[in-house]
Amino acid sequence: MIEVVKILFVEPSYIVREGLKTVLSRMGIAFRAEEAEEVRDNFQRLLEKHKPQIVFANPDLLAKSWHGNRSAAIFEGVVLIGLMSKESGEADSAHFDFLINTRHPRQEITQALMNILSKNGFISGETDSENISDRETDVLRLVALGFTNNEISDRLFISVHTVMTHRKNITRKLGIKTVSGLTVYAILNKIIEAGEVKGSSL
Amino acid sequence: MLINQDMKMADVIHLNHHLLHVINRFGIQLGYGEKTVKQLCAEHDVPLSFFLEIVNTFHDPGYFPVENLLQFKASRLIAYLHETHRYYLDFRIPEIANYIQRLRDDDGFGPEVKLLIQSFFSQYTHELTQHINREEQRVYPYVLSLEKYLESGGGDKELIGSLKQYSIHEYEEEHDDVESKLFDLKNIIIKYIPSPRDSRVLNLILHELFELENDLNNHAHIEDLILVPIVEKMEQEFLSGSNNPKIL
Ligand SMILES: [Fe+2]
Ligand SMILES: [Fe+2]
Repeated sequence: MIEVVKILFVEPSYIVREGLKTVLSRMGIAFRAEEAEEVRDNFQRLLEKHKPQIVFANPDLLAKSWHGNRSAAIFEGVVLIGLMSKESGEADSAHFDFLINTRHPRQEITQALMNILSKNGFISGETDSENISDRETDVLRLVALGFTNNEISDRLFISVHTVMTHRKNITRKLGIKTVSGLTVYAILNKIIEAGEVKGSSL
Repeated sequence: MLINQDMKMADVIHLNHHLLHVINRFGIQLGYGEKTVKQLCAEHDVPLSFFLEIVNTFHDPGYFPVENLLQFKASRLIAYLHETHRYYLDFRIPEIANYIQRLRDDDGFGPEVKLLIQSFFSQYTHELTQHINREEQRVYPYVLSLEKYLESGGGDKELIGSLKQYSIHEYEEEHDDVESKLFDLKNIIIKYIPSPRDSRVLNLILHELFELENDLNNHAHIEDLILVPIVEKMEQEFLSGSNNPKIL
């Protein structure tokens, strides 16, 4: 499904930023880019403001703004990718989740990005075409009928957490996010009948 | 290539015709002749730099210069946001509703499918209208009177007084997304309806949905990333100034 990924580029070189954007576009990634040419002490502020999911950053630019706080809450769920321009030896590489060498040839860079993005769930490879399972259909049926997560958990004898996991997978597989969207899907696929829907949402 | 002030407006449209409705929002209508962007903006009393920044955020999806946009006055942004609200409610939504109406006379579909699309869309229209009304009736007037107060000391006392209960932070929290439902509707039409005998009207609807979604995304970005920080700054200014006897 198409999910727009929020990406922050912290890199002084205009050409490198544009190049990365082109590479990502060619890979079929839908993203919204925010760009910073420099950071003074405001790396954390940049993160707070843009709430990116992925950050591409030049290690030299961040060198002064670490203060050893990679573990701060703001970094949670952020994939931090270092942009190297030499083979090795850049300071602070330990702060990064992944490193990319901007001088590597096309095939290598694309492959490396592909690995990183699929490892972190931004590309789901073949699994997108996967149909929803029987259990997911049970959950979908109840969601479409207007039941809450708690009610679904009671009825199917599963934890609320499991209900939420099923819902996430359903949304990912179908590309439908809202309850009313799921209801329409369920009716079109004869999982429920229009007359059964709780309340009058449809 | 970004749009610049010396380009002929006609060339801007040849470059990217999706910009037509954005340009209209500034009160600049067709019949541009040989005039440049700069000339037309001057003629219509449109601030050139504001026009260029807004048009370019539409023109180039990678272009969203937060720092530049933060320099504009809240009232300037609100005037623009207001025009886009009008455009959604007075033009784009009725336009889609018309196409959906056309589906009714199309016998390439089962009645159930028509009904589902129709009620889903009317529910969406209702939600979008509510969202917009909340902004027009509550949020924007608050921001405008805050700005007026800071500039001249005048302003609606009641609204200023209510600042202590309501702040832009609350808007930031409750500002719900009106794009998800459109996204779903697109996917339902693209993937899940039984294939009709003829897709032409549905194609038109999809085209409209893509345009509207794109526009709404840009609009929400301006609200969340530009308007909110500008107002936060004004609130701080207001709060630090309220200890000042001159303002009291
Ligand atoms: Fe709005
Ligand atoms: Fe809004």
